[in-house]
Amino acid sequence: MDIQNFSISERLGSLDAEVRRLAVIDLPYGDEEDIVSLLLPRLADEDAAVRTEAVRALEGYEELEVVSALAPMLLDADDGVRAAVGVVLSELKGSECAPPLLPFLRGHTAEVRTLALRAIRALRVPEAFEPAMEALKDADAGVRREAVGVLGYLRMPQAIGALAEVAALDADADVRRIAIGAIGYSSEQSVLPALTRGLADNAWMVRDEAAQTLGKLRLGLAIPELVRAMQDEYWQVRVKAARSLGLLKAVVALPALIDALAHPIGNLRKEAAIALGEIADPRAIPALEGALEDSDPDVRKLSRLALTAITLAQK
Amino acid sequence: MKRIDMEFDLVVIGGGTGGPMAAVKAKEKNPKLRVLLIDKANVKRSGAISMGMDGLNNAVIPGHATPEQYVKEITIANDGIVDQEAVMAYAANSFDMINELDRWGVKFEKDETGDYAVRKVHHLGSYVLPMPEGHHMKKILYRQLKKARVEVTNRVVVTRVLTGASGEVVAVMGFDCRTADVYVIKTRAAVISTGAAGRIGLPASGYLMGTYENPTNCGDGHAMAYHAGADLANLECFQINPLIKDYNGPACAYVTGPFGGFTANSKGERFIECDYWSGQMMMEFHNELEGGNGPVFLKLDHLAEETIQEIETILHTNERPSRGRFHEKRGNDYRSQMVEMHISEIGFCSGHSASGIHVNALGETSVAGLYAAGDCASVPHNYMLGAFVYGRLCGENAAAYCAEHGQGAVDAGDVAAEEARILAPLGRTDGLTPFQIEYKTRRLVNDYLQPPKITRKYEIALRRFDEIREDAEAMFAGNPHELMRAMEAHSILDCAEMAARASMFRTESRWGLYHYYVDHPERDDDNWFCHSLLSKGADGAMQMRKKAVEPYIVAIDDEERSAYQRLRVARSAEAA
Amino acid sequence: MTIAATPTQVPVNVDNDKCIAEKGCTVCVDVCPLDVLAIDMLTKKAFMKFDECWYCLPCETDCPTGAVSVSIPYLLR
Repeated sequence: MDIQNFSISERLGSLDAEVRRLAVIDLPYGDEEDIVSLLLPRLADEDAAVRTEAVRALEGYEELEVVSALAPMLLDADDGVRAAVGVVLSELKGSECAPPLLPFLRGHTAEVRTLALRAIRALRVPEAFEPAMEALKDADAGVRREAVGVLGYLRMPQAIGALAEVAALDADADVRRIAIGAIGYSSEQSVLPALTRGLADNAWMVRDEAAQTLGKLRLGLAIPELVRAMQDEYWQVRVKAARSLGLLKAVVALPALIDALAHPIGNLRKEAAIALGEIADPRAIPALEGALEDSDPDVRKLSRLALTAITLAQK
Repeated sequence: MKRIDMEFDLVVIGGGTGGPMAAVKAKEKNPKLRVLLIDKANVKRSGAISMGMDGLNNAVIPGHATPEQYVKEITIANDGIVDQEAVMAYAANSFDMINELDRWGVKFEKDETGDYAVRKVHHLGSYVLPMPEGHHMKKILYRQLKKARVEVTNRVVVTRVLTGASGEVVAVMGFDCRTADVYVIKTRAAVISTGAAGRIGLPASGYLMGTYENPTNCGDGHAMAYHAGADLANLECFQINPLIKDYNGPACAYVTGPFGGFTANSKGERFIECDYWSGQMMMEFHNELEGGNGPVFLKLDHLAEETIQEIETILHTNERPSRGRFHEKRGNDYRSQMVEMHISEIGFCSGHSASGIHVNALGETSVAGLYAAGDCASVPHNYMLGAFVYGRLCGENAAAYCAEHGQGAVDAGDVAAEEARILAPLGRTDGLTPFQIEYKTRRLVNDYLQPPKITRKYEIALRRFDEIREDAEAMFAGNPHELMRAMEAHSILDCAEMAARASMFRTESRWGLYHYYVDHPERDDDNWFCHSLLSKGADGAMQMRKKAVEPYIVAIDDEERSAYQRLRVARSAEAA
Repeated sequence: MTIAATPTQVPVNVDNDKCIAEKGCTVCVDVCPLDVLAIDMLTKKAFMKFDECWYCLPCETDCPTGAVSVSIPYLLR
């Protein structure tokens, strides 16, 4: 008799590990109604491949019983199982899923701490605050990256100082970049030094993130630094600075933006035209009219739009 | 083969994007409703997003854009011919849908504080929201179907929606593409969510299944809506896409745009003014290709290594992941070469243009109890998020309809006739293969219907389609799989004729290349500022009529109109 | 004309040593939107039955043993 003729429940109990694994793969698409209670026992399957599939099949089931069974599997002996658990836990959304994760935020290996911090980020529970603050000093850069992410999502005022310090001093450029972005929940002036320092970071990705975050937070006090960033050696950073100057309606940026309208990189000319439209100062009209003859149609188009915006703003 | 009889309250036809959403939302509205989701493939991996999607390109997110701005933008992008209320229904519900998908586990790109990382691409009305891990989309939808306890039937090809004495939906018929069992499913309401009609024309490669759309999306829904008596709107507004040459997959300039990539001519210069995938943009594309500046390319070779890596990750893991393999085989590296692009064959797809089964802001078609969502329905520029929003509207409104309407009587003669029609190709021992009928239809579509449109060519096409219709009576299928191809060939032929008749009706040019009618090169707002509707006449032939554009709910003042008009400039005049 | 019986380079190839269809696996057959794959009743292995591939890759991605490989159809590449 063909194996397909057996029910999924029967196949789940097969002595052949491959048959069990295939049954687990089929389960979410079969007729069985209570998938969870059929899958939970397979988390303890002796075969690592079966455990991995069972973990994957439980993705999206936020019941506490599922999360409680999955979290300890961050310590599974098999690499593949641990990786799958990390992915599935990172999909969690509800704060009620947090308690089983808490014991794994500290201790264990760097891998376990990384995965647990990643999983708890989107849950935004205050219990994650202390462990994340501690993890900012972790020896492992991966752990620090996740810790910074957790604090960014938590948006708690008391984390600003620590995040600013990480943004300035961490040895890992990616940690600094994430920290700059993570500060983007507070428009308190206290974040200003960290962000302006970020604009002068050695790594261009950090400067890029800082230019973007200043615009997101509409931090007008940073306008002089953003204008300076219009001279950054990376055009990508200048594009972000132009975007932020437009959002800030920074009239003092007019000369820098008008200069950028003549830059060889079309993407920068385009962004400068948009920003000049947002600032809507008539002094930009001659430069924008010149840009109507730009070789790049996108620049011509956005210059027309900017000119219209200036006309409308004057009414 | 046997006959299988079933009875449901609501049947959702097509399990790709809008369909699963409709089924889930109908169950959420009324958990007692008996809802069936039916697909000719397997819902696990069916439809346009079988391998996911790389982002939303029409996200209307508070703080970045308003629904009013979006409605304005779409109105102008569509040359004014829109039901603004229907567009508004999308715009006003799209943010809630994003949040719901986010809760379901769809991963949208977020910044380091958890805010959506939107990117500005269009002028003002909408934003791009990348989905770096969008390949999990179908798994997420299936989980919701399971949680809502929707019944799913796979590998059943629906061929007709049957109507009752007063023209209302009473049943759905089809067959199993592996056993040829005939299904007769009584139902009070139905949602058609069968996607685009993307298999009408023949790809330039000559490879029948080398289409941009999933080839399962061959216009079955358009044909079944037509035969059920529903109106189809603006079918002359074709879908024509700028694609990677030969691969026929999307070049995704809208994904690469925010990273600095763009569409360039053979000199490496940007030439497209219009940034929406629209008929206007396709006209610019067409002119560049034909005007001596072609070929046209996707240009990324000026970008930083990190940026190219990010683009590769997004483009080679989502939607059409075989893209990387295609480039590799040709030795085409984004870092050093531009990617050659080309213009696609024609199709119907509201997701990108504006044609399809006519629906209002509730998702209702002109047939009682029949709804339509996604690429097959007429709401313009809806894309994936619009399919979800309208899936939700159709599911909820169909559930409400079921609460007030009982099951109508099914005419036994109708059932017998459709059963005979379905099974006929299996009963023959020789004749023409479905492949031959399909190939010839699609080849003629390319020869005669591809814009620029010319009356004389369209007349020839109609005559040839009539001949093929007669030939199709001799189609034979050696097995149930070929029977599926045979029934699809009928849908393709229906759509080809619809494309021709709708185009000849609108005696003006509009929507850039989509309806560039050489015999009537000017836009004629005095006579044609209206929708066109195609339906089945009393004599069984296709008939056309005009429908006034619904009163605007978002006024567009002259200044704005001209500001936009000036964005959509000169080059089209050269062609006209 | 659509049956993949003529000796030709079909886009979907199955490594019979890795395929475990005999253990009840029908994943590639299930996920193909165009229903072009099938299990050979004699060999108990998956194979491409109809030459109508859209090179969309679920069969390859979802195969639990990595037995399926898809190449771009010759007419396109």
